[in-house]
Amino acid sequence: MSRNENKVKIMPKAIVCEDCIIQGDVTISSGCVVHPSAQIIAETGPIVIGENCIIEEYAKIHNRIQPESPDKPHILTIGPNNIFEVGSVIEASKIGEKNIFECKSFVSSDVEVSNGCVICAGCHLSGGQHLLENTVIFGKHCQQREALDRISGSHMLQLDFLRKILPNYHHLRKAKQ
Amino acid sequence: MEICDTYYSKDEFVETASGNKVNRQTVLCGSQNIVLHGKVIVDKGAIIRGDLANVRTGRYCIISKNAVIRPPFKQFSKGVAFFPLHIGDHVYIGENSVISAASIGSYVYIGKNAVIGRRCVIKDCSIIEDGAILPPETTLASFMKFTKEGKIEGGQGTESVPPAMLDLMVDFTKSFYEHFIPSTH
Repeated sequence: MSRNENKVKIMPKAIVCEDCIIQGDVTISSGCVVHPSAQIIAETGPIVIGENCIIEEYAKIHNRIQPESPDKPHILTIGPNNIFEVGSVIEASKIGEKNIFECKSFVSSDVEVSNGCVICAGCHLSGGQHLLENTVIFGKHCQQREALDRISGSHMLQLDFLRKILPNYHHLRKAKQ
Repeated sequence: MEICDTYYSKDEFVETASGNKVNRQTVLCGSQNIVLHGKVIVDKGAIIRGDLANVRTGRYCIISKNAVIRPPFKQFSKGVAFFPLHIGDHVYIGENSVISAASIGSYVYIGKNAVIGRRCVIKDCSIIEDGAILPPETTLASFMKFTKEGKIEGGQGTESVPPAMLDLMVDFTKSFYEHFIPSTH
């Protein structure tokens, strides 16, 4: 599919559907679920995705931050337990853990996302900033507030379900390191 | 209202016995769980996730380019369940829309880039504007319009949704289907 196909590292127990687009130096940790038609494009530097992330259809994770020097590319590290919903476009410089990027959200390349943040459906986030923990971006004007309580539950149950279902219906990419 | 002809290449579309026209570049996961009741057009890049739960559409539905039809899930104390997604007759779904509704009635118009949140219920003859975002678990009554600003408009004495919405959607989807024809050369 791509010239850098061999650089894709998929850890065991990750479920990566075959018809998604993965280009460049991408590491997908164990426990992740990548739905069909998702895009992970490591253009200018590697992308490392932590454990138990869900990446849904048409979500696009794109590392295109120009490195300061060519021998030291910027590594986009994504922590564990993040959810990237349908059609979200993520170009952030760094992402912590337990974040939710809802449908059609957009995060530009100069944003750093910490932990437990929620970017609601359709919200665009750009301009150099560092999101504090548990920030919620919501509404049509992309207002910010702090989450009142921790996001209820976790998505582990959803992950378990997807891990059971997806292998029955899709060809999966083999784990390789 | 007359719609101009849309031509498609015969190599790109599959036409089934019941008149469904499905582009070859769609992603139909779990096709045994997808029921298209006839004369449905599914355009390029559309995704229907039949693997998560059953998806059923009525007749004369139009699913435009890159739309994602995705059954909703609900989290219970023990595990997650995905719910079946039902779409009525004569429904138009615009480009790049994401549909996670529990049910969509008949004669519904959904614009492009709309997001229908998890387990929404949309009743007959309603309109979702382009770029509108329905929060999860929203119910939209019939003859209502959900605007881009997030307001529900309509009701008696207003003209947000034309009173003849039913006939308009029947005409629109039928003539869209009839004018969606293979190119001759």
